[in-house]
Amino acid sequence: MAAKTRDYYEVLGVSRTASADEIKTAYRKLARKFHPDLNPGDKAAEERFKELQEAYDTLSDKENRELFDKYGENWKAVKQGGGQPPPGWEGARTASGSPTGGFDFSGFDFGGMGGAAGFDIFEEMFSGGGSGRAGRGRQRARRERGEDVEAQLELSLEEAHRGGRRTLQMQTAETCPTCNGTGQVGDKPCQTCGGSGQVLKPKTIEVNIPAGVRDGSTVRLAGQGGSGVNGTQPGDLYLHIRLRPHPVFAVRGDDLEIELPIAPWEAVLGTKVEVPTIDGRVDLTIPAGAQSGQRLRLRGQGLNKRKGGRGDEYVRLKIVVPKDIGAEERRLYEELKQVSKFDARKGR
Amino acid sequence: MELRDFDMDEPLTCEVVAERIGARRSLVVRLARAGVIETLESESSEPLLPSHVVVKLRRMQRLRRDLGVNYSGAAVILDLVERIELLNRELIEIRGRTLDHER
Repeated sequence: MAAKTRDYYEVLGVSRTASADEIKTAYRKLARKFHPDLNPGDKAAEERFKELQEAYDTLSDKENRELFDKYGENWKAVKQGGGQPPPGWEGARTASGSPTGGFDFSGFDFGGMGGAAGFDIFEEMFSGGGSGRAGRGRQRARRERGEDVEAQLELSLEEAHRGGRRTLQMQTAETCPTCNGTGQVGDKPCQTCGGSGQVLKPKTIEVNIPAGVRDGSTVRLAGQGGSGVNGTQPGDLYLHIRLRPHPVFAVRGDDLEIELPIAPWEAVLGTKVEVPTIDGRVDLTIPAGAQSGQRLRLRGQGLNKRKGGRGDEYVRLKIVVPKDIGAEERRLYEELKQVSKFDARKGR
Repeated sequence: MELRDFDMDEPLTCEVVAERIGARRSLVVRLARAGVIETLESESSEPLLPSHVVVKLRRMQRLRRDLGVNYSGAAVILDLVERIELLNRELIEIRGRTLDHER
């Protein structure tokens, strides 16, 4: 995907003369707002954070900032070319002198995924921790295994209950075939991977969704993350399960709950009705004298549990009164009113 | 392609967790002993950790790196984010049911 690069100063909301501290403060302030770990599942925030990262990575490094100030969008090409600007780079400058232009994020390490319905990466995991972003290249060189990747997988309640296979299309960071992950060819940065040692490659994975996963559960697929550099172990793929809201069932842990409307006479006399369960319809006996809000349990008709067994389904009764009644019905209700000794407000 | 599923409650040693997150074992032990990350009951001298702790620790590392918060702060932030997410989902579900009632 090719994305238009904005002015890094504009991205961070600082002036071109901002000090290193001002740049860091601006980055931290915006990162607090858009950090993917604080906005799980928010694609817009994720995109904004990538922009911030890119801007901060560049402007927090003295040498890179100087190159960006001088060459704008072409600063990377200049760096890779050993300080020589590519032909025609000046044409990319805007009238105000602000360097903007096209930028291809595919060369970066954002581990984007997509393709299969409902599957959506929301963040990338980095190995190593603690040090600043400017040191990412150095971190990569000493890393022992491939990057772990986190992604979100949206499932229907039925899929979570029964499990099954899903085909996921994703992009993972693989070792650059040109430089074998070293990031360098001879004395120069590798042109294929831009010196990162890794390239993004499309990958299709068949995933076994275990029966009984729940909203918020995580499935780890070992070795399905980014490939390791120089033959080291690949990283893992962590799939965070999200369940789509169901039109009929509400989920309460392992149990399901539905609301069942019944007529007043069904509540008084009792009846047998068909109710939906996650596996199809079953007969339910409504006892005589049933109350609105009363919950009836269908034992073992809830969700499959991860380690065997099942939850229950609860049917919450709701007595529904007809709005329009015919003359005969009205007569019978009037008669019932005369005959009945029931006081709905007794004891209240 | 071989398919493998993993139980996220699988107990891991601090050594394994440290290797997975690219940190020192002593840091993981310290965070576990301080109660910053969840531990499993264990008879060994060193705590065992459920494997979902790896995901949490990675997030904590990123928050530390990107926002400058310490590990304890990052753990609190992540717990709050989780609670907000849970509440949001409950809210969506309640709103959906309220609309059904109104129809």
